[in-house]
Amino acid sequence: MRFVDYLLGGVGSGLIIALMALALVLTWRATRVVNFAQVGQAMFTTFIALSLQTLTGSWFIALVGAMIAGALLGTVVQFLVLRPVARADTSGAIIATFGVLIALQAAAGMIWGGDSQAYPQPFGNTAITLFGRDWPVSAYDLIVVGFAVVLVVGLTLLFTRTDLGLAMRATAFNPEVARLSGVRVGRTLTVGWALAGTVGAVAGVLVAPTSAISPNSFDILLVFAFTAAVIGGLDSLVGAVALGIGTGLVLSVVSGFSDSGNAPVVALVLLALNLLLKPEGIFGHHKARSV
Amino acid sequence: MLSISSLTVDYGPVRALSHVSLEVPRREVTAVIGANGAGKSTLLRTVAGLVRPHSGSIHVDGVDITGRRAEDIVRARVALVPEGRSTIPELTVEENLRLGGMWRPRAARAATLAQVFELFPVLGDRRAMRADTLSGGERQQLAIGRALMCDPECLMLDEPSLGLAPLVVTQILEMVRTLAEESNLAVLLVEQNAVTALRVAHTGIVLNLGSVVMSGAAADVAAREELRHAYLGY
Repeated sequence: MRFVDYLLGGVGSGLIIALMALALVLTWRATRVVNFAQVGQAMFTTFIALSLQTLTGSWFIALVGAMIAGALLGTVVQFLVLRPVARADTSGAIIATFGVLIALQAAAGMIWGGDSQAYPQPFGNTAITLFGRDWPVSAYDLIVVGFAVVLVVGLTLLFTRTDLGLAMRATAFNPEVARLSGVRVGRTLTVGWALAGTVGAVAGVLVAPTSAISPNSFDILLVFAFTAAVIGGLDSLVGAVALGIGTGLVLSVVSGFSDSGNAPVVALVLLALNLLLKPEGIFGHHKARSV
Repeated sequence: MLSISSLTVDYGPVRALSHVSLEVPRREVTAVIGANGAGKSTLLRTVAGLVRPHSGSIHVDGVDITGRRAEDIVRARVALVPEGRSTIPELTVEENLRLGGMWRPRAARAATLAQVFELFPVLGDRRAMRADTLSGGERQQLAIGRALMCDPECLMLDEPSLGLAPLVVTQILEMVRTLAEESNLAVLLVEQNAVTALRVAHTGIVLNLGSVVMSGAAADVAAREELRHAYLGY
C-alpha cells in the first residue's frame, strides 16, 4: 500500500515535470536547441505571477499573467539571443541559453530578492479522504492534472488540426521545403518559443506552491524535465509527457523509500543509462549523432 | 513570363553562374540541360530565393523579384520542386499538400486540392498515409502537387527524373508538358537526363560551367551532335 501511495503522490509532480519537458521539446522541435533557460524563464514568470497575485488576490489572473509573460519572454529570448547566435552554430546557441538562465536568475534576485518566498495554495492541499482512508492526492493535485490534460490536448490539436501546427511541424522536419511552400519560417520558430514559454510558465505557477519560489528554486526541475525530455526522445510531445509522468513516479517512490535527496541522483543515473543504451530516446526517431 | 537577365551567382570565390539570361514563356516547357556542376540547380535555387545572386535580375511578368526571400517568391507565383526528397516523409500525403500555399484563402486551397487529386488520383487514394510509404514516382507527384497548391504561374522542377524508373520519368514529364500547355503554366525544367528532357521540352538550353553555351528549339538542340559530345557526354 505504501508503494501505491508513493506512486499516486508522484502523479502531480510528474505532470509538472511533463509540462516542463514539453516546453523543452517545443523549443527543440522548433530550433534544434535545448533551451536551458526554460526554467529560468518559468522562474521569472512565476515571480511575475506572485506579484500579480499579491496585487489582485486572484490566483487565476496571476496564472494568465504568467502565461502572457511566458510567451513574451520566449519571443524576446528567441529574437534577441537565439536568432543572432543560431546563425553561427547550434552549440553556440545552447551556451547562449545558459547565459540567459544566469541573467534571468540575477535579474530576479535584484527585483524580488534572493530568499525563498511562499506561493499561495489556491485550493486545499489536504489529502482527499475517500473509502475511509486518506489518499496522497489533494484537490490541488487534481487541478494540476486538469491543467496538464487541457494543455496536452490543446497542443495536440494545435499541431495536428491547424495550419499553424502544420507549419511548425514542417519547419521542424524540413525548413527549406517549408519556405518553398510559403511558410514564414522565422516567424514560425518564434511562435514555437513563445508557446514553449507559455507552457513553461504554467509549469512554474503550478509547481510554486509545493516548492516555494526563489531565483534558483526551479533548477532541480530542469534536471528532471531534461531527463524526461531526453529519454522521451526530445522530438516527441507524447514522449515528453509519458516520461515526465514516469520520472515523477520514479522520483516519488525513490524519495518515499529512501531520501528525497537521492531523487536527482536517480534521475541522472536514468539519463546516463538512456544515453548508453538508447541514445535516440524511447519515442525519438532520429539517428544518434556521434560527436 | 519568367525573365532572367545576366544572372551571376558566386559561392564564395567560386563563380557558379555567369551572366545567364533566359526567358521562360507560358504554355511551354523550357529545359535546362548540362553536366553535373554546370550550375543548373543553382539557377533554380537562385530564382526561388534560396540563393542570393551577385548581380543580374529576375522578373515575373515584369515585376522584379531579384533578391526576395523564398517565402515571398512563392507568393509571386513562382514555385520550385527541389531536387531529391522534397516531400516531408513524417507528414501524411494530405498534410504535405496542405503545406503548400497556406497564405491562400481556404476555399481556393480546397479547390486546388481537389484539382491535384484529380490530376494525381493515387495521391487522393493515399491522402491519409505517411509520405514515406509512397513509391519514388508517387513521391515526385506529391512534390509537384505541393508546388501546385501554391497556385503557381511558373513551375520549376529540379531533376524530377532522379532515381526513377525510365517509364515513370516519361509519364511524369509528359504530365508536366500537358500541365504547361493546358494550365497556362511556364515550366522551367532542369535535367541531367538530356534525351528525355529535350523530348518533352519546347526549348532547350545547354549550360556548361555556369554559362549558357546554346539555346534553341528542343529538337534542334537534340540534333546538334557536337554539342552532345562536348557538354552532355554521350
